[in-house]
Amino acid sequence: MSDRAADQLHVTIPSDPKYLPLVRAMVDEGAALTGFAQEERHAISLAVTEAMTNVIRHAYGGDQEQRIDLTLDTRDQRFRLDIIDYAEYVSPEQIASRPLDEVRPGGLGVHLIKSTMDEVHYRKNEHGGTTLTLVKAPATTKEPS
Amino acid sequence: MKVTRESHDSAALFIVEGQVDMHTSPELRSQLRGALEDRANPVVVDLTSVAFIDSSGLATLIEALQATAKYGGRLRLCGLSPEVRNLFELSKLTSIFDLRDTREEAMQG
Repeated sequence: MSDRAADQLHVTIPSDPKYLPLVRAMVDEGAALTGFAQEERHAISLAVTEAMTNVIRHAYGGDQEQRIDLTLDTRDQRFRLDIIDYAEYVSPEQIASRPLDEVRPGGLGVHLIKSTMDEVHYRKNEHGGTTLTLVKAPATTKEPS
Repeated sequence: MKVTRESHDSAALFIVEGQVDMHTSPELRSQLRGALEDRANPVVVDLTSVAFIDSSGLATLIEALQATAKYGGRLRLCGLSPEVRNLFELSKLTSIFDLRDTREEAMQG
C-alpha cells in the first residue's frame, strides 16, 4: 500500500457551475490514473457532477461565491473523492431521490450518485457543513460476487 | 456548449455540441422554449456531439417532452453515445423518450 501524500490532490474551487467541466477533467484524469476504463470514468464524472450540483443548489442555495474543497485520493487502486462544503449540514434524507416511475424534471441526482459509485457517505464536517465521500474501485480489480 | 437550431417545415432540429450540465442547461432550455412556443413538430434534439450530460440536462429534456405533448407534438432524441444512453438507462427514461439512431430517422414524419 502506498502512503504518499503525492497521491492526494487538494483543490478549492468556488461554488460556480462554470467550473464543473474543470472538476470533471480532474476527476477523469484521476480515474484514469487509477486504471478505470472509459465507461467507468464517465460514470464517476457523472456522480461527481451530480454531487457538486447538489452542493451548489441545495447546500449553498445557488450562491456561486462560496467555497468547495475537493480531496482526490487514488491510492490503493481505487478512486476516492471528498467533497467538502462550508454550508449547514444537509442530511441525506433531505436530498432523497424521487421515485423513478414518477417522470418529472429533477430529483435524479442522488439516485445517479448511488447507482454509479461503490460507496457514498455523508457526514457533518468540522466546519459545520457536509463532507460527501465517493468511492469506487475499477471493475477489473473487483472480485466476482 | 453550443446549440444550433434549424427549421424544416414544421419541424425544429437542435444540434447540441459539448457538455450539458447545471451551467449550460439553461441555455438549452431557452433555445428549446422558442420551438415549443412555435409549436414545432417534431422537435428533434441531436446529441451526437454531446460528450456529457447530467440530470440538469435530463430535466431540461423532460420539460421539453412534457411541453410538446401538451400541444400534441413529438420530441425525438438522436445520436446518443453509449455513455449518454447509459444515463437514460440509469434514470429509467429509455421508454419515456423517443430515441432514434440517426438524425434522418428522427426528422421523418
